[in-house]
Amino acid sequence: MSEPQGLHTKEFTLNVGPIHPSTHGVCRFVVKMEGEVITELTPVIGYLHRALEKICENRTYEQIIPVTDRFEYCTAMSCNMAFSLATEKLAGIEVPERAEYLRVIMLELNRIASHLIWFGTTALDLGALTPFLYGFREREDILDLFEMTCGQRLTFNYIRPGGVSKDIPPEFIPKCREFLDGFNTKIDDYEKVLTGNPIFITRNKNVGIMPPDVGIAYAVSGPALRASGVKHDLRRDDPYSIYDRFEFDLPTGETGDCYDRYLVRIQEMRESAKIVRQAIEQIPEGEIRGKFNKMNFKPPAGEVYSRIENSRGEMGIYIQAAEKQKKPLRVKMRGGSYNQLQVMPVICKGAKIADLVAIMASMDIIMPDVDR
Amino acid sequence: MTRDELVTYIQDTFKDTVGLLETGRAEPFFMIKPEDILEFSRAIKDDPKLRMDWLNCISGVDTGEHFEVVYTVASVQTKIRFDYKTVLAYDNAEIESVQSVWPGANWHEREVWELYGINVKNHGNLTRFLLPDDWDQGHPMRKDWDAPDFKRMPEK
Repeated sequence: MSEPQGLHTKEFTLNVGPIHPSTHGVCRFVVKMEGEVITELTPVIGYLHRALEKICENRTYEQIIPVTDRFEYCTAMSCNMAFSLATEKLAGIEVPERAEYLRVIMLELNRIASHLIWFGTTALDLGALTPFLYGFREREDILDLFEMTCGQRLTFNYIRPGGVSKDIPPEFIPKCREFLDGFNTKIDDYEKVLTGNPIFITRNKNVGIMPPDVGIAYAVSGPALRASGVKHDLRRDDPYSIYDRFEFDLPTGETGDCYDRYLVRIQEMRESAKIVRQAIEQIPEGEIRGKFNKMNFKPPAGEVYSRIENSRGEMGIYIQAAEKQKKPLRVKMRGGSYNQLQVMPVICKGAKIADLVAIMASMDIIMPDVDR
Repeated sequence: MTRDELVTYIQDTFKDTVGLLETGRAEPFFMIKPEDILEFSRAIKDDPKLRMDWLNCISGVDTGEHFEVVYTVASVQTKIRFDYKTVLAYDNAEIESVQSVWPGANWHEREVWELYGINVKNHGNLTRFLLPDDWDQGHPMRKDWDAPDFKRMPEK
């Protein structure tokens, strides 16, 4: 023990989980540490594995929609959407104009709801309870809107191949407008609590930096990648539905640390609100469901991969259909969290053990998305 | 690049390795021989016109007659996206790992190994993943595998 530089402690292995290490589902980390610095991190997954892909192979296309709800339950609308898009691409189904608008409204409201969960739980992980209550208060308003439309608050089964299942009730648009009018000031309130908060900044700034090339190599997507300065958003780069008709900005970060990821998501909520506002101004009257024979739908043989941007990045559905079969041969679900979790060992190396929770919270990983 | 330009470009550049699979969709689909996978993956990543730097996912497929492994790739820089796949016989199904091209392939390949029993050469970490650690009931995503308590509905 002559010089402090040569001071090495015994390597220490810590098990984090498998109950909620933070509040994002059941995940477990095996962490090797020297002192309190992480030298190796191994995510252990599979605790929420429900074999959704196998279940899909034994169901018809219409019956798969409720299964996709369970895929990533924080943004179930986007799972419905990804699967419906893939089916439409496979069989060439047209979607009526009004249904496209309804889809965009629901998707963006769902994105806000999901980001509000992230906002609440991130603060909770770092030891602040108040933002959690704020976030869930506004999320409740959005869930009320969903409930009056499709009767469900979490697993919607709303967006279907060819359109949507139900039209919105007359009171939806005034209610939605009322929510949007107040929402920007609500976000200002959130920012007052966290953005300038010295404790929050110390815990997040320059923590868990993800360089853009690492993000791309591991196919990290969504806000986590944009925080590293890569302007990549499928709503812009590979427009699906009618996203090319709306004006919105793509917030990006500079350093790619936890704080940038926080700022990007906060900005994204404002942008989503902007899209919803434009959509409810422009929405036309008309049909809500195109031609889709749900009882006896048999697509032509083929393979399709369709991808959309949800609140955690790229959600992709790959379908392989056999000729004249009611059931798909293979459905593969690709969620954003899968790759976000895969990059964790890289960006956590050298971080302190206390930062692990902050990094995981800022990546916005939820486990149903990983385990399926 | 439009779809047709992309198809012509890839077919011209990788004449010996690529066959096109027409599925009538927006994005093209290519067929690659199993032994060419690694080489082709590296080539499309380095190609200055394609720059496929993004691996969306790798999906195993059991068609009932043979295995397929589908690679879905995209590019952040050029915004191109396409898929390619390889067909493997049931016996000794094996692919080469593409982790040296895209490090993010690791978990996707592990999943293909675990759920389908397709061996991945040079992977380095083929251990239990989604399934329980003591799982010994085979590869559940194969078509001939049914859960013990599963009863199939009679086809009409």
